[in-house]
Amino acid sequence: MHIMEGFLPWQWCIVWWLIALPCLAFGVWRLKKIIDADREALPLLGVTGGFIFILSSLKLPSVTGSCSHPTGTGLSAICFGPWITSVICGIVLLFQALFLAHGGLSVLGANIVSMGIVGPLVGYAIYRLLKDTSVNIYLTVFLATALADMFTYVTTSLELALAYPAEVGGVASSFVLFLAIFAITQVPLAIVEGIVLALVFKYIVALKPDILIRMKIFSEKQINEARGEA
Amino acid sequence: MAKSYILEILAVVAILAFCGVFLFTSSTLKGAEFAGSDNVGSGMIAELSGKPVESFAPLIPQWEPPSGEVESCLFALQSAIGGICVGGVFGYWLGQKKSMSETKANQ
Repeated sequence: MHIMEGFLPWQWCIVWWLIALPCLAFGVWRLKKIIDADREALPLLGVTGGFIFILSSLKLPSVTGSCSHPTGTGLSAICFGPWITSVICGIVLLFQALFLAHGGLSVLGANIVSMGIVGPLVGYAIYRLLKDTSVNIYLTVFLATALADMFTYVTTSLELALAYPAEVGGVASSFVLFLAIFAITQVPLAIVEGIVLALVFKYIVALKPDILIRMKIFSEKQINEARGEA
Repeated sequence: MAKSYILEILAVVAILAFCGVFLFTSSTLKGAEFAGSDNVGSGMIAELSGKPVESFAPLIPQWEPPSGEVESCLFALQSAIGGICVGGVFGYWLGQKKSMSETKANQ
């Protein structure tokens, strides 16, 4: 999902940076608040953040004959909300921009918006929508993580389409062209990521159910039901 | 028994299917280079703007890994950092759980 350094006009770089910065600032503030309130939240942050580090470094081949990587942001979005996830993504993307020439400092804002803000926001919205329904919690986690992954790439496509409208058809037709590159490649990756992260969530439920209940991520009843069946 | 491992089974099936699809496409799809979709995207940008890919110079100068080996080393480092976090915390939780059940048993 990285837009490569130099491939976004500077005007757009500034626009995406201006959107990303307040979200990051709010995320840092939220992070401080959560850690002050509950030290036991820190290990959970380690697990969810760790998976962003791992999954975003795996470049996997896909059906379109090109490679792409999962984002791993959904789990963190469910547990900590989208804004703290933005901060972790910011760290990962900065690492990749500085040392791997994946993305760059000028396009970092745009990449944070797609991977760190829109993707997690979509995942979080789905989780909130399904949280209090009778939907199985692992299905909720699957849907939230898979769609957080998908929408990261949809956003990248939109960012590029806005900067490079096609001569015929404008933004809409170049959006379709970029979607064909990014989104189709991503479909199988998103499905696998969703299943794997749902499995990880099962182990969190098995080992440390009290933190999930205390942070009100799922209700006690839902967790107990999940433990009973898992 | 099988029901309690349904997620594990699903994950294994999904990963195997993913590998199967990869083997199938890599042997049948002509011209599939398995380059990064980032680069394919950059090619599309060049096509849409009518400028060659080489003309897109970084706006902010950046360091590039001198070879694929160095790059893969740094990527491995990134996932190792993540792996240490995840493994460390799961171990911590496991120990916590164990010591809690031991104190209960001693009481």
